[in-house]
Amino acid sequence: MASPTVMCPDVELRSELERRGAGSAARCFQCATCSSVCDLVTTDATFPRRQMLWAQWGFVDRLVADPTLWLCHQCNDCTARCPRDARPGDVLQVLRALMIERLAAPRFMARLVGRAAVTWPVLVGLPILFWAALIFATTGFGSPGVPLVYGEVVPHWTIYAVFFPAAAFAVAASGAGARRYWRAWRSDEASRGSPLKELAGVAKEILIHSRFARCREARPRQLGHLALLWGFLGAALTSGLIVVAMYGLGEELPLPQAHPFKILGNVSAALLVVGISWLLATRLLGSRAGASQAYDSFFLGLVTVLVATGVAVEIARYVFPAWLAIGLYVVHLGIVLALFVTFPYSKFAHALYRTLAMAQERLAAKRRPQ
Amino acid sequence: MERIGVFLCTGCDIGASLETGALAALAKGRGAVHFAAHACLCSQEGVASLRATAEGGAVDALVIAACSGRHKQPEFTFDPARVAVERVGLREQVAWSHPSGHEDTQMLAEDLLRMGITRAAKVRLPQRAADHVERTVLVVGGGLAGLQAAQAAAGLDHPVVLVEKTAELGGYLSRLTDLVPAAPPYDRLEPSPLPALVSAIRGDPRIRVLTGTRIARISGQPGQFVIEVERGDAREQFNAGAIVQATGALPYDAARLSHLGYGQLRNVITTGELDLSLARRDLARVPGGKPPRRILFVQCAGSRDDSHLPYCSNECCGATLRQVLAIHQGWPGVECAVIYRDLRTPGQLEHFYRAVQEQTRVMLARGTVASVTGHGGTLQVSVRDSSLGEQVELEADLVVLATGMVPNAADGEAIRALRDAKRRIEKNESETQRKAAEETAASLARHEGTEILNLTYRQGPDLPALAHGFPNSHFICFPYETRRTGIYAAGAVRGPMDAAQAAEDGWGAAMKASQVISAAGRGEAVHPRAADIGVADFFLQRCTQCKRCTEECPFGTLDEDEKGTPQYNPLRCRRCGICLGACPERIVSYPDYSVDAIAGMIKAIEVPEEDEEKPRILALLCENDALPALDDAALGRAAWNPWVRVISVRCLGAVNIVWIADALSRGIDGVLLVGCKRGSDYQCHYIQGSELAHKRLENVQETLTRLSLEPERVRVVELARNELPRIPAIFDEYAEALAALGPNPLKGF
Repeated sequence: MASPTVMCPDVELRSELERRGAGSAARCFQCATCSSVCDLVTTDATFPRRQMLWAQWGFVDRLVADPTLWLCHQCNDCTARCPRDARPGDVLQVLRALMIERLAAPRFMARLVGRAAVTWPVLVGLPILFWAALIFATTGFGSPGVPLVYGEVVPHWTIYAVFFPAAAFAVAASGAGARRYWRAWRSDEASRGSPLKELAGVAKEILIHSRFARCREARPRQLGHLALLWGFLGAALTSGLIVVAMYGLGEELPLPQAHPFKILGNVSAALLVVGISWLLATRLLGSRAGASQAYDSFFLGLVTVLVATGVAVEIARYVFPAWLAIGLYVVHLGIVLALFVTFPYSKFAHALYRTLAMAQERLAAKRRPQ
Repeated sequence: MERIGVFLCTGCDIGASLETGALAALAKGRGAVHFAAHACLCSQEGVASLRATAEGGAVDALVIAACSGRHKQPEFTFDPARVAVERVGLREQVAWSHPSGHEDTQMLAEDLLRMGITRAAKVRLPQRAADHVERTVLVVGGGLAGLQAAQAAAGLDHPVVLVEKTAELGGYLSRLTDLVPAAPPYDRLEPSPLPALVSAIRGDPRIRVLTGTRIARISGQPGQFVIEVERGDAREQFNAGAIVQATGALPYDAARLSHLGYGQLRNVITTGELDLSLARRDLARVPGGKPPRRILFVQCAGSRDDSHLPYCSNECCGATLRQVLAIHQGWPGVECAVIYRDLRTPGQLEHFYRAVQEQTRVMLARGTVASVTGHGGTLQVSVRDSSLGEQVELEADLVVLATGMVPNAADGEAIRALRDAKRRIEKNESETQRKAAEETAASLARHEGTEILNLTYRQGPDLPALAHGFPNSHFICFPYETRRTGIYAAGAVRGPMDAAQAAEDGWGAAMKASQVISAAGRGEAVHPRAADIGVADFFLQRCTQCKRCTEECPFGTLDEDEKGTPQYNPLRCRRCGICLGACPERIVSYPDYSVDAIAGMIKAIEVPEEDEEKPRILALLCENDALPALDDAALGRAAWNPWVRVISVRCLGAVNIVWIADALSRGIDGVLLVGCKRGSDYQCHYIQGSELAHKRLENVQETLTRLSLEPERVRVVELARNELPRIPAIFDEYAEALAALGPNPLKGF
């Protein structure tokens, strides 16, 4: 046996979990019902029992380096069946939040987003104020014509000037987090190799949500999430295509409603609306979906406001007075900026970490001697 | 008895499955002075006819051939001192378990009736020996169980004398202010009920409290105990009707737990020592006198471990949780960790466990503590077998060992063996004898001077110790019972338990004490032969002083005079009949259960000739579990082998070997004894009956071999009360085994 692990009962972790709403981990008595009912557990990745045990003993370093945390889709099959009401699904959720906070760089940003329950007015308000100030400084909100063309009030160059650096920041910060995460599991023999080769397979799993579909308690949520994912992908694609339309095809903005790119954008918007409504409904109505903490609520709130303002901005052009439409547009831009900047620290980062974890698990499964 | 009346009930399928005319002829042929058949004997009319016949003096014995004696008891019970009643269970043993109208069924019924009439002829009427009894209850031990027993007995209108050896009442609990919860919602500490109970006892005029007092001597029998107590130099004598021993338990000696650092490291203490510190509101036990920051509790310290206490003490987990919560509330900065093998919180304490689990400063984890070593002021606790699957070292400032409970009881039989050995050494009869005696004395030396009750009983001065040294009867059906009638164990001396259970025990034992006093006053036995007024008769002229009866009586009923002749104490007697089974001279008999009566029943079985191919099996069934199981099997219409003839015995220990010889010499093919389980998980209602029967039967089988009879012709089967489905198979398998042996060669001689 390896040399013994020396430790003290980590009361700090207990307190931290308690503060974040996962104090229920203390109730676990290791019956392993959670791991038995979980449909995502494989021989290469066992959870949540192991993580519950580590949480009890206070092995925080192991927890934040454990990629299997991300294989959990928080369907809460385990929470629904836990005989001690230890809520393993929620505990794992909190541990994921904790992990993001420990891995992401820079640290102060991670802490800021990690305390979103308190800091959210800053996280949302600052980007909106920033945009308002920028527009005031450039066009002074001008005197828009009728019908309203947003480009006249918010010049395209400001969009590029803000979002390209913001995206670059998000990529750089996420990359730093991903690298730390990567190193943590590289010490594991079974995980040697590049998970990048597995990304195609992972992408297929993600696009049809084949893994998420195995979660019984969360089946309704999974459909909402699928709609939201496709809506996001559609919206991202539309953004790219519009740049192509403007500079490649020389089209004038706004595009007419019958334009194929516009249709794609509207379909994406519809998917986003359906998806986010669905998810909000499962959170509000489904008691078994698990407790929502700030980590979850902040991200969900951002996406909700993003979708709501996005759709509102499109309609406002035609029906609202110009000042209201522009006001909504400023909020929308602020939310997009907030989403970009908080990506590496918010629940949004699950797109990164879960993808990597799934690749790692596929790799481990391949390397396991048959 | 001389004038036997036979009443045949033809209800409940009996009449339909049997030829009743033949039974009537049989009854007359066996000398019955009265025969009547009734379609429903337990009806008002039927009972009236029975009563008229019995009370009119026409008969002095009733043979009621109807249902099993376990049914319809209110209807078929008459004054036992005036009329003997023999119940023949035709309904269960014939009508409901064998094919109707079959030749074998009829033969079975006739055999059973013949056996019943024979027995009725051979029984005697018992005389009710009511005597003066003392109603005082003596309670030994002033802890919670004893106090509760004293209060309960006083509440049942008994004068009580409470004897406590220390100067104060309260026992272990006097060091605790709060206890684990005993009432809903079971999630917080509760103030100890002890102070209120002590002042209630002190102020109760019915209860005499003798502190600083020990028992010098107890003689007599239930209802008539003579107690001598010693208080300093003063001696006092009084009478008592029953005794409750509530002497509690002691913590397991932690000095034997050196691998856990006890005795070597100052900051390794026991639960009891932490309780003292908590009572002083002082946690400063670590070197340097600083209060500890991290406390680690080791559960099962010396428990569930074959080299220490093999059992679980049931209470230590609750005690640790209690201490953890008290520390959490009183010393908020202190962190606690509990390493357990299984956290056991029986009953409602699970709620308490969960409440403590919610406390943020408590870590509860599974594992085995392999060692505790010192490292400056900090202790290193090595934990293995944790769920983590790896060895972990934990650091702590204070380690608390949750030690188990050892009964504070004396082993009466061991003390007697020690005294006997010493006497043999003094006598110094031969070199080898002296050596053997010296060895015995050395091995029992630890029992020297441990006496608590100082009984004058022949079998020893204290209660016999049963499993793990607890004097409790151990079997779940008989709580508080010990192997001394009229002396009941309550609280932790009976088994490891917490305060709430000990208080409940006090109530239970007080009720048993009250019960035995009233039964003694009526001259009746107590459980399981409650209401039996017949006492054993020893025909001492033929006694050879072999001492088997005085040795084997499970209840210490018999004392001895100098020559070794048994001296019977009827109020100690439970009427199990184990002395009857033991006696080689067959001089012990009860009015309705004697060697002669049962032998007569065996001889009443008609054994067909070999060529008729109708073997006969005698089945002796214990009346406590096996016979009720048989009755219930019949109730479920189980069918069994028609060759079997059942006789109910008081206990397998109450089977005299001569009956087996009688049966086999009459040509009966085999003898089956069905009784309660023996061994450490025994279910024998007389504790040792089954065990003794097995030993005696081994000797019988040797004898059979010498007589060139197969030892397989006698078989002992253990049957629990709920194992009725096994009964038909037990009989069938035995019949097959006997068929393989062939018929009894003694048939027809």
